[in-house]
Amino acid sequence: MIYFAGTVAVKDSIFAGARCYIAARYQGRLLEQDQPVGLMTPPVAAIAPDEESVAPDKARWRSVRRPLTTLIAILVGWELLGRYVLTNHLFFAPLSEVAVAGVELWRSGELQIHIWVSFSELLEGVAAAIVFGIAVGIGIGISQRAREYSEIYITALYATPLVAVTPLLILWLGIGIVSKAAVVFLTAVFPILINTASGVRATDTQLIEVAQSFCATRAQIIAKVMLPAAVPFMLTGIRLGIGRGIVGVVVGELFGARAGLGYLIFTSGQTFDVPALFVGILTLAAMGVGLTFAAQLVERRALRWRRAVDMD
Amino acid sequence: MAPEHAASVEVEHLDMEFVARGRRQKVLADIDLQIAPGEFFVIVGPSGCGKTTLLRILQGLARPTAGRALVGGREVLGPGTDRGFVFQNDALYPWRNVTRNVGFGLELQGTDKREAAARAQAMIDLVGLRGFETYYPHELSGGMRQRVNLARALAIEPAILLMDEPFAALDALTRETMQQELLRIAAAAGTTVVFITHQIDEAILLGDRVAVFSPRPGRLKEILPIELKRPREAGVKQSAAFQAYVSRIAHLIGHSA
Repeated sequence: MIYFAGTVAVKDSIFAGARCYIAARYQGRLLEQDQPVGLMTPPVAAIAPDEESVAPDKARWRSVRRPLTTLIAILVGWELLGRYVLTNHLFFAPLSEVAVAGVELWRSGELQIHIWVSFSELLEGVAAAIVFGIAVGIGIGISQRAREYSEIYITALYATPLVAVTPLLILWLGIGIVSKAAVVFLTAVFPILINTASGVRATDTQLIEVAQSFCATRAQIIAKVMLPAAVPFMLTGIRLGIGRGIVGVVVGELFGARAGLGYLIFTSGQTFDVPALFVGILTLAAMGVGLTFAAQLVERRALRWRRAVDMD
Repeated sequence: MAPEHAASVEVEHLDMEFVARGRRQKVLADIDLQIAPGEFFVIVGPSGCGKTTLLRILQGLARPTAGRALVGGREVLGPGTDRGFVFQNDALYPWRNVTRNVGFGLELQGTDKREAAARAQAMIDLVGLRGFETYYPHELSGGMRQRVNLARALAIEPAILLMDEPFAALDALTRETMQQELLRIAAAAGTTVVFITHQIDEAILLGDRVAVFSPRPGRLKEILPIELKRPREAGVKQSAAFQAYVSRIAHLIGHSA
């Protein structure tokens, strides 16, 4: 058994080591190799190698292979379920028929319109929620007074399922894209706002004190210390907001729309067109996964200054 | 940064009280100090002797209950760019790389970008971090982070450097290296230094004079001039003169505890 230990304690290394390597700082060059110490103590116990510790290449392949296996099992199970168990096409459709319906909807150009409408609603609503949520979140984060006036009501609104006001928004703003963007805004804004406010408030007081000792103005402390410190919180809020926004899109379109994936699902349900209904659901799922993935990419890029372990 | 840039420090009849859990607590009692321009002044004492509070008062982060502190002949009423503060835990901005951390104070002052970059680079070179400009704090070791912390304080060319146990969190080997580095850097920068520590050998190695504080409330017990010639190498710690200072200060602290 070979033991290899790094230490800064000179006494420890002499006490425990058979040989010492002395390394230079920073680049870790070896200054002195192989200083025999000669106080060798017998190894205390053999350490069993960790079963799960494998080469990084293998681990990466495994992280792809395992979820892929699950996916294939689900797809095959779906096809078999549709062909041999739930054979009534009023209630269920095998995967192959869903795929055919998807291709047909795409060929006719209908699917692209639904995707575009839903995506626009989501994008506009989330964009407005980001601008408003971050601005107000900062205000509430830095101002005790603003917090006292508003905090309890923001919490109440956050807890209220705001999709409930959708019929009202459709009455006010019409059946088009704007009313659904408004629903998305309402559902997405609170996680962004609340996360931004807590991020600003959670700024390390010592980092603020450093700025104060350099004679920073209040505006400088906000812009150069509190805002950067709150960025990870904001990004988390945005990711949550997107997830809630997708729910807002679908619910909004169920209440009243002329196009969109929620509209496709609703009309397909009414006409017992189960394959088209599944096309709508799967497209929504893909949209959600894609946007969450994109948000994670942005987070990773924006937060490169953080430790790698914090990211995963 | 010529030595004439350094400022003097005076502390006059200074008292400091805190109210904690409804009880008034005196942390500093009747402190009087005169520190000459360019002097390396070390305050040593056990925890609870108010040494960090005194440093915060000098920086302008806290106001004394009574008495006053003067830097360069002017009363301290708030933070000023004539003073650089080196915090105990490095307190670097994790989203800024080395260059942008070092240049932080200059950026706040609105210094011209090119000049700021040149000054930041000069400080990075001075503290021995050339080649690490683009590294983020989490990519640096504890010793390197304290070098950045020191460079950040020096970049605004302060007339006085206030250091609050800057090496306390470092391991023994790194601490010894950093002590030597600080001696070199302080000599090069020529500023007045007020340095706080609870380590007796660190105080003697670094200081022109060492002030011994006693705790609860913090009182100035005695000021010892350290007559060891400079430049001081780590080997000076083995000398008889050094050991005599150690036992003298240990005796002073022991009596107060």
